[in-house]
Amino acid sequence: MTTQQTPQSRGDMLKRLREQHAATVERTQVLLREQKRVQQEICKVIRDTPKSVPEIAAAVNMPANEVLWYVASFKKYGLLVEKGMCADYPLYQKAEEKK
Amino acid sequence: MPEKLKIGVYTCYCGGNISHTVKCEQVAKVMESQPDVVISRTNMSLCSDAGQSQIEQDIKELGVNRVVIGACAPSLHEQTFRGTVMRAGLNPFLYHHIGLREQDSWVHTCDCDGATCKAMHLMAAGIAKARHLQPLEPIRLEAEKQALVIGGGVAGLRAALDIARQGLRVVLIEKSPFIGGRMAQLEAVFPTGEKARDLLCDLVKKVAGHPNIKLYTQAEVTGVTGYVGNYGVRILQHSRGVSAEDAQALMTACKKEVPDEFNYGLSQRKVIYQPFEGCYPQLPAVDWENYQGEPISLNGGQPIVLEDAPQTFDVSVGAIVVATGFDPYEPRQGEYSYGELKEVVTLPQLIRHLALMKSGEALTWNGHPVRDVALIHCVGSREIEGVDEPHEDGQVNNYCSRVCCTASLHMAVELHEKFPALNIYELYQDIRTYGRGHEDYYRGALDGGVRFVRYSGEERPQVTPAPTGDTHPVLLRVKDSLTYNEELEIPVDLVVLAVGMVPRQIDDLVNMLKVSRGTDRFLLEVHPKLRPVETAVNGVILAGTAQGPMNIQESLSAASAAAAKVLTLLGRGKVELPPFVAAVDAEKCNGTGACVEACQYDGAIALQTFTENGKEIKRAVVTPANCVGCGACVAACPNRAIDVQGWTLSQYEAMVDAIGMNIVDLVEA
Amino acid sequence: MNNLKVDALVIGGGIAGMQAALDLGDQGFQVALVEREPSIGGKMITLSKVFPTLDCCSCITTPKMSAVAHHPNITLFTYCEVQSIQESGAGYGVAVLQKPRYVDVNKCTGCRQCEYECPITVPSTFDRGLGAYRAIRVPFSTAVPQKAVLDIDNCLLCGKCEKICPVEAVDFNQQPETFSIEATAILLATGFELTQLGAKKEYGGGKLPNVIDPLMMERFLAPTGPYGRVLRPGDGMEPTTIAYVQCAGSRDQTQGIEYCSRVCCMYAIKQAMLISGALPMAEITIYYMDIRTFGKGYEQFYQNAKAMGVEFVRGKVASIREDEKHNPIVKVELTEEGRIIERTHDMVILSLGMIPTASPSTFGLLPSSDGFISLPAINASPSATQRPGIFVTGAAGGPMDIVDSIVTAGAAASEASAYIRNKTGIGVAQREVAYA
Repeated sequence: MTTQQTPQSRGDMLKRLREQHAATVERTQVLLREQKRVQQEICKVIRDTPKSVPEIAAAVNMPANEVLWYVASFKKYGLLVEKGMCADYPLYQKAEEKK
Repeated sequence: MPEKLKIGVYTCYCGGNISHTVKCEQVAKVMESQPDVVISRTNMSLCSDAGQSQIEQDIKELGVNRVVIGACAPSLHEQTFRGTVMRAGLNPFLYHHIGLREQDSWVHTCDCDGATCKAMHLMAAGIAKARHLQPLEPIRLEAEKQALVIGGGVAGLRAALDIARQGLRVVLIEKSPFIGGRMAQLEAVFPTGEKARDLLCDLVKKVAGHPNIKLYTQAEVTGVTGYVGNYGVRILQHSRGVSAEDAQALMTACKKEVPDEFNYGLSQRKVIYQPFEGCYPQLPAVDWENYQGEPISLNGGQPIVLEDAPQTFDVSVGAIVVATGFDPYEPRQGEYSYGELKEVVTLPQLIRHLALMKSGEALTWNGHPVRDVALIHCVGSREIEGVDEPHEDGQVNNYCSRVCCTASLHMAVELHEKFPALNIYELYQDIRTYGRGHEDYYRGALDGGVRFVRYSGEERPQVTPAPTGDTHPVLLRVKDSLTYNEELEIPVDLVVLAVGMVPRQIDDLVNMLKVSRGTDRFLLEVHPKLRPVETAVNGVILAGTAQGPMNIQESLSAASAAAAKVLTLLGRGKVELPPFVAAVDAEKCNGTGACVEACQYDGAIALQTFTENGKEIKRAVVTPANCVGCGACVAACPNRAIDVQGWTLSQYEAMVDAIGMNIVDLVEA
Repeated sequence: MNNLKVDALVIGGGIAGMQAALDLGDQGFQVALVEREPSIGGKMITLSKVFPTLDCCSCITTPKMSAVAHHPNITLFTYCEVQSIQESGAGYGVAVLQKPRYVDVNKCTGCRQCEYECPITVPSTFDRGLGAYRAIRVPFSTAVPQKAVLDIDNCLLCGKCEKICPVEAVDFNQQPETFSIEATAILLATGFELTQLGAKKEYGGGKLPNVIDPLMMERFLAPTGPYGRVLRPGDGMEPTTIAYVQCAGSRDQTQGIEYCSRVCCMYAIKQAMLISGALPMAEITIYYMDIRTFGKGYEQFYQNAKAMGVEFVRGKVASIREDEKHNPIVKVELTEEGRIIERTHDMVILSLGMIPTASPSTFGLLPSSDGFISLPAINASPSATQRPGIFVTGAAGGPMDIVDSIVTAGAAASEASAYIRNKTGIGVAQREVAYA
């Protein structure tokens, strides 16, 4: 993969790309705000006590399948950990902050 | 000064296969403290590129010079990791592989602590051995650029052609006097409706005309020596018995007839014969087994007796392709009244019967018109232990023969087209028309009014003679799960058994080649995904139905894949054999000859006379190519002068010591 | 990018394409392998364990991926798409589009710092949308190459990845580029996709959260799956009653897919066995019309599953709805008893069939009535297509399982090598394989 003939500064490049992908940037900015909000809410719910997906869903007023997707994502990137089971549901708790 | 030992130890999770039982992190932790270990790591899947790269990196950056891996069985990935180690610039034999999966996690699933403890012992033993590992070089030998293909059916022909047209020479042998195999006995083939004989004819023409292929018919293997790259195969070939000049006259004059196996006994043929028009070779042949010295009078002259003068010759080949094919299952006497009621036939027989009929002729059997016919699926296939009677070897054929469903429905559609008034029943368990275009026959049969009856393997249909005075000769009784297990009685004129496939009788060949069979008695591949056409014997390759039931398309693919394997093996003209062979320590050997006596392999070890300081002394000398590394000589030597390279006595002792260690000592080491 | 001249071009880096490339490369031919995804591995690398041996899938796939990447005779192009194939000289000229990764693969070390830094999380296609990854990521843990890729369609263009990258590999300058490959022979290994989950409306796929496709279940069963265990995607419950609906995307005239997809019986049985291992209390039901376990060792596999307690119910599933707790309710006609019943399960897997990934017309070939590449000499040269020198392997030539794909890869490699030798006059002896 070659770079363009005239190398441009990083700032210029990003700016040009942002113009090109203005719609994507706009959409992802909304998405980012939403994801941050949900993350904060979920993390608040599971900060002290482990909760199941339906419990989290009820607390944050979101469909359970969407909550599960966030849980899978947080688990992958180390934001939460599995902490035992309650009946047929695994429980999740916020991971300890990295020092 | 010897290099400082730096051992890298890797414990693989095997994607959970090991880590679900063995506490890999604990194992890795304990291994860290073993002598000379510089790094001990775990990995989710060590064989992945990332896992392999880690090992390479440790060799390059940490100076690791001995590698110990605990993972799956060495048969699976020892070769993979040898490549890894080699890429990093280390001798590939400075690596030892421990089977933590097959030998530990899979067999102790209920005992995590025990399995972990065992893993620690096994790994410690591996490390102990690694401390004694020495660099080794594989044995490199010239390879014959010639392959032997056994079997002249569609798979053997295809494999031979694919090998030959890429520049290697092929010796193709066929036991019968004519090539073409089972495919020659078919008529129209699914899913295209092409004539089997036309397809075969094209292939045979290419094979027969190929300068790199030497074909021997009426030939069989009588002995095999050697190893990959350099097999010596003894072949016995019977005489043709006739020449181009006298063949026709002899055939005409010959009176003795036997049931024609080409038509599955539906017709008679002479003992000097051609199975079908357009067969190859065209020259008729004498069926020596049945000829039995029958005198023949040519044009009323003196009777003459033909004689078989079998020739034996040896060929040197680098690889052997086994394409010995299948036999249709022969139902036992009385199975579905086979052999008792003449109205019970097999599907291959019906195919020949239709082929022998004149076009436009009505369907009859034994002179009686056939109005109702039933095809029974899974005869000799999908048998259930405890329900179906075992065969001679005590086994049942518990496998699916793969082709019979489509073949039966193909037949049903053909019968319906030729004889629209015929009532056809298909008695089946599951319809397995899986291939491209196969489902069309199922739909075609349904559209054509074929009646389907679904029976259970636990309660197979009953075939009995009909009561006297009945309109039909045979009565079928079957419980039909399509009509809520109604007990049906179906009067029919003909019962057709869709028989499965069984491997050919090749016991002698199997023993000579030392290949293994699966529980289904077909020849066994090393691994269905990693090495699907190779046997455990290096250089012996499988093609077609010798390996298991296949249709023509699948046989062709398997044969071409086998050819690719042969080309990879022999294309370079060299083969490499593992260096795990006996090696004599000249210092210690004083020529007792105990090793030579203990050795079971021809030419593997011998005493030779050397002159040293003016004295003649005897000493054992190993021929690595003939040595299999069995170790019999090692045990026999009174002076500990022989070792198997890569598995020396000192290595074993080190391993045993580690295995015998108390776990507490191991952990605290 | 310079134009490349090779003996054979393999299109598709799934199991069939990788095996065909290895079989040709091992014989000494120069091979180019083009894969449209950022990593090779195809569908197989997403699977858990594979039938009938129940080997863990990565134990079989990852070493082959690694072998392809390190093979001295194979040049690997990932994240590339074939745009056209023109006859040219003794072979074909193939125009290939290199999609921008926005990451310099020569610099990237796969450290994943960019991925951890990226603020945007998106559904992971590797986990069939049920797991997550970031807009810039290494596609999956065993990806080859182990290099990051930036998904521009979900990127905020915040530049954080570029800042954190310790080797300055993130490169926003990259543009799509076209290059060409001259190849004597082409092997098509473009594989399959599952039929649409929602194609049969009555089954509720895509609407009911606990009605899923079999590749999702593969991810749940895989050690690297999105939940790390088997949970139903509707609410994260560990399911106890699980049902499989066979022929949900095959043998169905209403969907226009009349053929059998060959693998669904075996993968359903295999998954049932794996679920029994993971969830010993689970009750698993397979609704079927015909069980087609026709391969070597497959019938015994089926009988083992029966003996393990997997329930096989012969019946035609009419529809699936759900109760208020999103439990799927299967309405099925029991053909052996002649009555229609409804049964509630925690989770239902629709055993979807296979359709070709790439349209045969992309390669100037005619499709067969089933949509897969037509095989004009199925009983003579099963790998041959209508165009000389273009061969097919794996599921591009019709539905097939891994075992069969690997065999057809060997067959296609054999056909291609004979073709190349014939075209170029390369003898076996003249080409030495240079092994690393």
